[in-house]
Amino acid sequence: METVTAKSTNVQYKSRSLAAETWRRLRKNKGAVAGMVFIVILVIATIVSGFIYDYETDIIGQNISERFTPPGLKYPFGTDQVGRNIFTRIIYGARYSLTISVGAVAIGLVVGVLFGSIAGFYGGLVDDLIMRVNDVLYAIPNIMIAVVVVSLFGTSTFNLLLALSINAATSFARIARASVMTLRGEEYIEASYAIGLPQWKIILKHIVPNCLSPIIVQTTLLIGTTIIAASSLSFLGIGIPAPAPEWGAMLSEGRDYMRSAGYICVIPGLAIMVTVLALNLLGDGLRDALDPKLKK
Amino acid sequence: MKENILEIKDLVVHYETDEGCVRAVNNVSFSIGKKTILGLVGETGAGKTTTALSILNLVPNPPGVIKNGSIILNGVDVLTLPENKLQEVRGKDVAMIFQDPMTALNPVMTIGEQIAESIMLHGEKDKEKALARAKEMLEHVGIAASRSGDYPHQLSGGMRQRVVIAIALACNPRLLIADEPTTALDVTIQAQILELIKELNRKFDTSMLLITHDLGVVAEVCDEVAVMYAGRIVEWGTADEVFNHTLHPYTEGLFNSLPNLRKRGEDLVPIKGMMPDPMNLPEGCAFAPRCPYAVPQCEKEVPELIKRGTHLVACRAYEDGNFKLRRNSNG
Repeated sequence: METVTAKSTNVQYKSRSLAAETWRRLRKNKGAVAGMVFIVILVIATIVSGFIYDYETDIIGQNISERFTPPGLKYPFGTDQVGRNIFTRIIYGARYSLTISVGAVAIGLVVGVLFGSIAGFYGGLVDDLIMRVNDVLYAIPNIMIAVVVVSLFGTSTFNLLLALSINAATSFARIARASVMTLRGEEYIEASYAIGLPQWKIILKHIVPNCLSPIIVQTTLLIGTTIIAASSLSFLGIGIPAPAPEWGAMLSEGRDYMRSAGYICVIPGLAIMVTVLALNLLGDGLRDALDPKLKK
Repeated sequence: MKENILEIKDLVVHYETDEGCVRAVNNVSFSIGKKTILGLVGETGAGKTTTALSILNLVPNPPGVIKNGSIILNGVDVLTLPENKLQEVRGKDVAMIFQDPMTALNPVMTIGEQIAESIMLHGEKDKEKALARAKEMLEHVGIAASRSGDYPHQLSGGMRQRVVIAIALACNPRLLIADEPTTALDVTIQAQILELIKELNRKFDTSMLLITHDLGVVAEVCDEVAVMYAGRIVEWGTADEVFNHTLHPYTEGLFNSLPNLRKRGEDLVPIKGMMPDPMNLPEGCAFAPRCPYAVPQCEKEVPELIKRGTHLVACRAYEDGNFKLRRNSNG
């Protein structure tokens, strides 16, 4: 073959997969790295706290003699109105926020991407049907849906999770549908038909992996909003029932002592804020890192 | 008598849209023999790609409807096959090379995986073996096997087109359809790709349908040429016959609108007018409104393909035995 340009040599070309390439670019973004580090620490702390703290004594055990101790050496975040250690409660409480938000987003992801892809891929009547239902759900504020679900089925972690997942599902359905619609017309999808690939394989192997980028970004951002929503519900008293150290509930309990012991309120608020900020920083970083236009 | 890999008879494809019925392919019949490269030439919108997609039974439906005809590929009529049998035929008996290599590859899969995917779909169960075969195919198209782990964005346009060709040839198809395989590439790469296609055609004993609007490409590669105009074949013969003994006025017009090396400085003669709107085709010969030889009779009935040896032409003028195109009479 004279026309051949590349000779078969043993040179190993550096091939980077999409994941490796994203990781390389994500590392350059300081905000995203900070957010990621914080979230990793939070997750580890949550897991570890389950082993080192005893729920009955360290988390909900009351100690009236040391109530309203301001933050100091013994109690880094102080104690609350019944003398509970706020530090341990915050660390322990992260699990509620994290499991509810991650769980709700995960359910929303599966359901939303499934319906969104079907709507985008088949179009027509199916698309109309799915997207109009989606629009209706999207129009109702997310807290409102949660209030209705919780008041109908009672307060439990699972119900809360389910209620919040509806909101996540609507966002995912929109994103998945839009991506699938643009991908459907791509030549490589046509080419996969031409090599005889069955439809379900085309969706799974060629379409879904190509719309992962916006979905990954949306996932991180939605976890943040869902944490806020879950905390808001607890703040309103329809989330995780007391005395569990859910951040929103702690914030709500601290309200009455705002003037005398503001930290009871401020610290859970800060915990929510910093966690959501970290997730948003990571989400923004991922969005930049996954953007093919920035590829150099 | 040569054995034919592909035989298309009376193919009619319409696109039924809200605005009206687009008659994209009207009564097209042609065949491709073993190891033959047939060039399908025509302007944009002449129905070339629709014809090609019909062979795979992949005409987008809706709005595309195959109204009539049969497409016998390897002894089987693909238009009557159920979907699951079609999936076996696609890729194994007939494969397609798409026009734009920049978008014909999946950006999130390595090129090795993409070639192996087709191989695994048609027989090979072992992934390792399929990947090994994929590397072999890469070598065949002139890309080092060590690059099989690369993603499409790491390759240039010409290399991507080589990968697309490798995917198409991976299962040794009997017929290869190349839909303007060089249009999106620059001229030097075009020559390389054409050379490669020719070489692989010989090596793998594949027949080929080469769709193009570039007569230079046709002269370079094809054994036979079919000229399409407004959804019909107007001329069909060997490359020598069509190039040197042109019969149809439309084909003559195409040649006249090309620059000629021997007559430098001469003005080009474009074909006047536009191709008719396929939604609103004239009653008679579709080329008649633009044809310098047209007589009133031409606009009344559609001319049939007339045989002149192995050379076929759809022009009423040949009913008169003495008719000659200007191009031929000038020598």
